[in-house]
Amino acid sequence: MSSITIQSLSKTYSNGTKALDTLDLKVEEGELFFLLGSSGCGKTTLLRAIAGLEDLDTGTILFGDKDVTKVPTHKREAAMVFQSYALWPHMSVGDNVAFGLEERGVRGDELVDRTLEALKGVQLDGYEDRRIDELSGGQQQRVALARALVVRPKCLLLDEPLSNLDTQLRLEMRTEIRRIVKEFGLTAVYVTHDQEEALSVADKVAVMRDGMIEQVGTPRDIYRHPSNKFVADFIGEVNTINAQVDTVVFDDHRGYSVRVVSMVGEIFQGQVTVDDWRPEAGDMVMVAIRPEAYRFDDSGDVLNQVTGKIIDSVYQGPTIQYLVLSDHGIYVQVSELNPLALRPAGQQVKLTARSNDVVMLQP
Amino acid sequence: MSKKYAIIITLVTLAFFCVFFFWPVAGVLERAFFTESGEFTIGSTLSVLSNPIYLEGLSNAFLLGVASTLVTFLVALPLAVMSHRWVFPGKRWLTLMVLAPLVLPPFVGAVGVRHILGTEGSLNALLSTIGLVSGDNPVDWLGASKFWGIVLMNALHLYPILYMNILSSLSSLDPRMEQAAQNLGASPWTRFKKITLPLCMPGVFAGAAIVFIWSFTELGVPLVFDYTRVTPVQIYDGIKDLQGNPIPYVLVAVMLLVSVLIYFSSRVILGRSQLGHSSKTKSQSMARPLPLVHGAMVSVAFLGVFIVATIPHFGVFFLSVSEDWYGTVLPSGFTLAHYGEGLGHSQVVSSIRNSLVYALGATFLDVLLGVGIAWVIVRSTIWGRRILDAMMMLPLAVPGIVLAFGFLSLTASSGFFGFLVPASGNPAMILILAYAIRRLPFVVRAVVGGLEQSNIELEEAALSLGVTPSRSFLKISIPLIGSSLLAGAVLSFAFAMLEVSDSLMLAQQSEHFPITKAIYSLLSTLGNGHELASALGVWAMLFLALAISGGLLVVGKKGGNLFRF
Repeated sequence: MSSITIQSLSKTYSNGTKALDTLDLKVEEGELFFLLGSSGCGKTTLLRAIAGLEDLDTGTILFGDKDVTKVPTHKREAAMVFQSYALWPHMSVGDNVAFGLEERGVRGDELVDRTLEALKGVQLDGYEDRRIDELSGGQQQRVALARALVVRPKCLLLDEPLSNLDTQLRLEMRTEIRRIVKEFGLTAVYVTHDQEEALSVADKVAVMRDGMIEQVGTPRDIYRHPSNKFVADFIGEVNTINAQVDTVVFDDHRGYSVRVVSMVGEIFQGQVTVDDWRPEAGDMVMVAIRPEAYRFDDSGDVLNQVTGKIIDSVYQGPTIQYLVLSDHGIYVQVSELNPLALRPAGQQVKLTARSNDVVMLQP
Repeated sequence: MSKKYAIIITLVTLAFFCVFFFWPVAGVLERAFFTESGEFTIGSTLSVLSNPIYLEGLSNAFLLGVASTLVTFLVALPLAVMSHRWVFPGKRWLTLMVLAPLVLPPFVGAVGVRHILGTEGSLNALLSTIGLVSGDNPVDWLGASKFWGIVLMNALHLYPILYMNILSSLSSLDPRMEQAAQNLGASPWTRFKKITLPLCMPGVFAGAAIVFIWSFTELGVPLVFDYTRVTPVQIYDGIKDLQGNPIPYVLVAVMLLVSVLIYFSSRVILGRSQLGHSSKTKSQSMARPLPLVHGAMVSVAFLGVFIVATIPHFGVFFLSVSEDWYGTVLPSGFTLAHYGEGLGHSQVVSSIRNSLVYALGATFLDVLLGVGIAWVIVRSTIWGRRILDAMMMLPLAVPGIVLAFGFLSLTASSGFFGFLVPASGNPAMILILAYAIRRLPFVVRAVVGGLEQSNIELEEAALSLGVTPSRSFLKISIPLIGSSLLAGAVLSFAFAMLEVSDSLMLAQQSEHFPITKAIYSLLSTLGNGHELASALGVWAMLFLALAISGGLLVVGKKGGNLFRF
């Protein structure tokens, strides 16, 4: 197992698009690290670069202290699990798993034992003589995982491994993958476009856009303290309002907090969560509040308060999502958890949010 | 790392093509258009073009090409459309069977046809039995029209090429194109005429160009039919006095230029637009089952084409086992004596051995080069792969007779290729090279198809698990493209076994004759020459049948793809 360090990696495709743009990243040893982004953001290219499957323009990749930039794929010991699983159709399940070991000179009892052990690890004992096309999608997924794990790689690379499974199986398999990765103590890089998958399974998440990393952090960090509007929008939903700083409330060990006034006079108070930006009185900011941070409230507090009337509602089971038009003409998304009854359209409402849930972003 | 191999393979292939392809072709052009002292001249060209005998030869060859292509089209188009649209009884086997004539040597079949269509042949016997022709005044079918005899032989041999090209165009056509027209109220015939056929034109023309070039330059069938007023035969006759005589060179150069022109215009004018063709591999056939009676009619049509196309070869078979076949529908007596005699005949035995050696050698060379080239074209990222890709089509555009002639002039005692032909005159090396280079496109195309269909991630997965690139190629890629590779190899072997132009021109001594040249030389032997030649032809077809059915067995279900190129 080893950490992975990536320094100013760049890759331009022949058609001129920049898949990776001087990208830096550090994955700690034993970490389950997620690369999250929409399609075309370069996340798969980055993963393939770590595996040694891409020709790079510039940059360095280190496994631990060792520079592997020029090391060919087959000597990197970075086992990859593909979106298509890439199981070899002309070999049985057992042969698929055993192949990597055989090529490393493992023979005889050890070969058989390790193969069976790996299949057991993914709960496929007894399947070694099956043909690949006799397996279900979920079983194929687990063979791919066993095949990668059996060679005891330095790190495990997973490229959207669950995207071809149906919802139920996807939920099961993502816990399963986390269990296996943690059990083997692996350093794992996991590519996905599914934010829920990333939030629920990852130790750390990197949100990517246009070949660059927008933010790296724990799932909680990323969700509660997005560093910009893109990240806030990409993970979950967010209401944003432009405003001007009125006063700096505190600037101490608890962080940096400001009170702002919106263009139409509403007053918000919230925290600045990025380290390199300290807006002063008179500076413009963007107030970001998640729909579930608002609550319907009749208290007299004027801080972080919006009044308006309900325009539309969408029933989603555990929540109802309301569209509220504020008295000042701004649309606000609000979700109410475990709703008792539907609030009718046209109803006048007052919404408030706690200052802890309000984040000030650079406009 | 892999880039290094790609560059090496590209350079080796380039060198191979320069020496064994471009140089012989250039040599022919040089002798045609330059004097001994190296000055450019069109004098010999003019003298050829003003000679009515050569002009007639050229126009006959051209007309043969045009007529053969048209007849081929008339046979291939209905078959392809029926096979694409409908399911009918026995479809799996029938669609395979109609491909068989492609690997049945027309040159050998022509021997059989002479005994069927000759004045004392089966057809006249049959017609006089039922009273349509008087026995005293038989019709000389072949004598009256050798031209159409050759056209028929060409068409019956080559229609599978066009059939497969049209069929693959049809299957890659997005079915929604037609459905949209149907939705707008177009009748089936209008849909076919206005939508399907125009969209399939690139496939039709690509196939038609090959058919044209092959029949334009066909040497074997006209030779057997004694049809001398056609350029390939004139060239063949001209090789007896090559020294200082530029006329055969000019004729070869003209054939080359016409062929190359036709080939490239078929590609360039029509382009290869992918509009309207679905890029996804088709999940399932759009073919619709026919009611029994209609289905049976389609089956009969397929069977009919197969039977007509193989009649010449049945003729060969009957001739080979006939005691006497003169003026009767079927031989009047049967015997295996010709086979027995053949096995004692030095030329028969040695020619079978020679052909096997030459064809296997060429196939081996093609597989070796073809796999490497296909890998560079599909998997590498080097710029040179585009050159390779384009170059691989050239041997299809250059007629066999041109290359054979180029090789011949270079192997002549003072020629550069002299070292390839030992003092004993054994043409094994030169024939293997000549066979190999013209069949290379089949292997390359087959393997390219296989590699494109196999997911590259299967190889990447092996690499990421620590398998070396060479091992991954051997253990993952090769098994996965195995059936395509085998298909290419079988095709290459079959065509090499039947090769006519190179064999006739480059093998000089009888102990080195391959099967085709042995057959040709036996045909001019008195006595039972024809029967012996037929027996040899049957042997050759037996080898082909074995190779192909062996291939089919290994390839299994995907049998139909064996011939698709």
